[in-house]
Amino acid sequence: MTNNWMRRQRLLGYLFIGPSMLGVLLFFLIPAAYSFGLMFTNYKFMSPNVEFVGLDNIIRLLKDEMFYLSLKNTFYFLLAVPVSIVLGFLAAVVLNQKIYLKKLLRGLYFMPYITSGVAVAFVWMLLFHPTQGPINGLLRSIGIDDPPGWLSTTTSSMVAIDIIWIWFMLGYNMIIYLAALQEVSPELLEAAKMDGARPGQILRKIIWPLVSPTTFLLLITGLIMTIKTFGIIQAVTQGGPGNSTTILSLYVYQNAFRYYDMGYASTISWALFILILLITLAQWVGQKRWVHY
Amino acid sequence: MRKKGWFTGMASLILVMGVLAGCSGGGNNGSNGDGSNAGSEASPSAGAPAASGDPVKLTMWGGVPPEAGPQAVVDAWNKEHPDIQVEYVRYVNDDEGNLKLDTAMMTGQDVDLFVNYTSSQATKRVEAGLALDLGTFGDYNIDEKMGPDAKGWQINGKYYGLPTTKSAYFVALNKDALDAAGLPVPKDWTWDELREYAKQLKAGGGYGFIQNLEPFVDPIDSVLTKDGYTKADGTSNLDHPLVKKWLETLNAMMEEDKSTPPLGEQLTSKMPVEQEFLSGKVPMLNIGAWLLRSSNNFTDFPRDFKIAFAPVPRLTDNADEYVARGGIGDYISINAKSKNQAAAWEFLKWYADGGMAPMAAGGRLPASKDADQDAALNSLLGDKADTYDKESMMYVLFDNRTPTFVRSLDQEVVDLRSQEYEKYFLGAQSVDETLAAMVARHNEYLKQTK
Amino acid sequence: MELRKRLTSEAPKKLLVTLIMLLLAIVMIIPFLWMISTSLKTPAQVFEYPIRWIPANPTWEHHVKVWTGPKSFGTYYWNSLKIAVIGMAGATFLSAFAAYGFARIEFKGRNALFMLYLSMMMIPPQVLFVPKFLMFEWAGIYNTHLALILPGLFTIFGVFMLRQFFLSIPNEITESAFIDGAGHFRIFFRLILPLAKPALATLAIIDFSWQWNDYENALVFLIDEELYTVPLGLQNFILENTVDYNGMMAAASAGIMPMIAVFAIGQRYIIQGLTNSAVKG
Repeated sequence: MTNNWMRRQRLLGYLFIGPSMLGVLLFFLIPAAYSFGLMFTNYKFMSPNVEFVGLDNIIRLLKDEMFYLSLKNTFYFLLAVPVSIVLGFLAAVVLNQKIYLKKLLRGLYFMPYITSGVAVAFVWMLLFHPTQGPINGLLRSIGIDDPPGWLSTTTSSMVAIDIIWIWFMLGYNMIIYLAALQEVSPELLEAAKMDGARPGQILRKIIWPLVSPTTFLLLITGLIMTIKTFGIIQAVTQGGPGNSTTILSLYVYQNAFRYYDMGYASTISWALFILILLITLAQWVGQKRWVHY
Repeated sequence: MRKKGWFTGMASLILVMGVLAGCSGGGNNGSNGDGSNAGSEASPSAGAPAASGDPVKLTMWGGVPPEAGPQAVVDAWNKEHPDIQVEYVRYVNDDEGNLKLDTAMMTGQDVDLFVNYTSSQATKRVEAGLALDLGTFGDYNIDEKMGPDAKGWQINGKYYGLPTTKSAYFVALNKDALDAAGLPVPKDWTWDELREYAKQLKAGGGYGFIQNLEPFVDPIDSVLTKDGYTKADGTSNLDHPLVKKWLETLNAMMEEDKSTPPLGEQLTSKMPVEQEFLSGKVPMLNIGAWLLRSSNNFTDFPRDFKIAFAPVPRLTDNADEYVARGGIGDYISINAKSKNQAAAWEFLKWYADGGMAPMAAGGRLPASKDADQDAALNSLLGDKADTYDKESMMYVLFDNRTPTFVRSLDQEVVDLRSQEYEKYFLGAQSVDETLAAMVARHNEYLKQTK
Repeated sequence: MELRKRLTSEAPKKLLVTLIMLLLAIVMIIPFLWMISTSLKTPAQVFEYPIRWIPANPTWEHHVKVWTGPKSFGTYYWNSLKIAVIGMAGATFLSAFAAYGFARIEFKGRNALFMLYLSMMMIPPQVLFVPKFLMFEWAGIYNTHLALILPGLFTIFGVFMLRQFFLSIPNEITESAFIDGAGHFRIFFRLILPLAKPALATLAIIDFSWQWNDYENALVFLIDEELYTVPLGLQNFILENTVDYNGMMAAASAGIMPMIAVFAIGQRYIIQGLTNSAVKG
């Protein structure tokens, strides 16, 4: 048990993280640096001319109406996150009570989260069929003669996408809340009940603040995850109709692989990064102020 | 014990390193192949065809499914030419498919011949130095063989490919329905006239007219190819009065007449227009020659009426000003990096001058004046000749002398235009807002690419 | 006595809440039910309303078409399975390896490196698409399964999650072994890995589901149909059979079933793992 041996053991740390580090280097760091560099070029795939263009791409981005539109669409898409959090919370509170079939119910609510987004997106596409789909069939049968066109109009397409996304995320949020609710002491709730607090009050004034760290975490991770997604939109609407569902991540994809505009695509993707960075910073700052322990 | 732990750890580490090293090693090969063709990827038959006894192997990339003609073409050639064997590779002609073809060529994989379907894609490939100037061969007069329509395919005044196919666009008509309504088959008509037809032909709750989305926007391109996509001062011409007329006419057909499906519904339900037409539900369909692929297939598309053909209607009142999309297409290029250019050229000439006849079954007639049109037409109609109105078909395919154009517009502009008119047809903005938005975005694009 | 009283007074309420939640749960899984039901119908029955959940004359022909047609899902399954299994195994092992380094060995620059790891989680995949495309194209692995498998071997989330778990293992367990002369490798393989089995299982299942469901990377890096994974194959099937709603739903069922099976078997691990990583993370 020499010091030498100890030191060697300590150096083993590099060996342990080495393989993983290599992967991070090859598939994260180098591509990220590469992408950062591309931002300052006019590189178009296949084009023989590559020039350093300085800040041109960034200036173009700031003037690009499509960028602002897809930013706006991204925000509409993100609205699904708080809604799915609130619904997930309510589901968790009810499931946390004494009820039968708890495990089965938990599994059923969670099922959308585990299935392939794309496969399910196609099912929703048919459910939302404007004239013949079952959703509008139901709406008509309960007396709504002019149901929304869902994915077929520019005004309702994002709502439809949001509904799919809420449905997808709800189960996950619920599961996490269920775990958080285990930490809420039953005595506290019992005491509140004794004091004559109504169930709605208990929910809003006691339980909701108590799980606020979880809410905050779900909000941040949910937002970041949603910002990164474009698969279901690409599968269902390809950003249309018009450009009503073109979100930033999809706009990156289109610029890169439809227009071959690699330099500009990189620029947009870094705007996406800044968005995520801002949300992460909000986490750091907000955690202290917003979360009640 | 301890040894074993070490062993497992090291083994897995080495494995990972090996995999990664293998990956970067492959990289070097790839980059060599990219720059020159002398890399290790050269096929054994790389030399001149005459020099070695091995047959030259050519690879041709096209977007038509092999069973719709190309396989028969290639088989016929291979039988006659044991020294030059051609393999057909299909790529789907969409974003991903074109990306696949482009990366295959950029990375120096074996692509000897490739078919371009739009002029803007061909131009990109020419700029990347991937297409050979066919003028260098000097033994085939493209203008003379293919006629005046070929000019539209020149890039910088040169032919970097051979347009091989008569590409006809037309409105397919349910002759029985027209006869019942007492309407003649038009040989020259305007969109206003088509609108009247659609109104009279729509039966009950059904539609009178339906469009394949590929030629959907052609009326605008017809106008703007003639009058210019930009005005004299270099700004966008997308607010041309006839563009407005096109928007308003179609919108009226969707909203007032309800004689054509609203675009939103068509898009989201991915409406199968060929089926709607061939099943007799909708009597008029704006489409191109590829309709024949389905209309000859009675197993999947049983049909009990005769199909007649009309040219695509014009927006302008003056017939002399009209240019129609079509003419010739399937622009086949030889990869400038191919090692078998001479052999590829032999094949290409044979293909254009009649070798492509089996393609007719899928609606692709040869454009060359030296090809046997009757044989091609027979293959086109097969045993279904009786189910077409021969006279109007001949007119649309051969006798119509309207000048033609090839759309050559950047994908970015095609997209921004379709995004804006979709918003209009879906009722999200007025016609003037639409035109203004198109012009503004087009101008921005023009500035960007200047 | 009191217990019985409580039971009788609470049972109806409990039943009612259960029923309501069950009803809502059924609403949640209606898309799946509709999918399966439609896949067994004839084209004419697809949009009949009111919906007939159990088709009048169920037919298996659409499922047969999906599995035996010219573009059989068999190939897609094999591809997905290959990518997901190799990726899962590699990612789990490499994550455990790295997580051990971060959690239990003190070395210079450890914290800085870990921060670097965490910051990589903020980089959206879109930033990496273009350079990865260009790099893979250059390296000759674009449009091969390696383009998915190699990056799939590395998951930052996995390192993060397992590090949390390893930190929660009491130091005494390893310290005594260390004093007995066992090196890190031996401790890792003999002590930590067996202890971490549940966490490893969780990561493996979650990683498998990510890789199986991954559509975006496959979309960007695979082109050849023979290489397609299930989500791409599904999309392809749908593009080529726009009319065939029954076939579409049969194909969607084929895409979803394996995940439902994995979930049914590994539900405990999935839920535990997600909960742990979220609450403690």
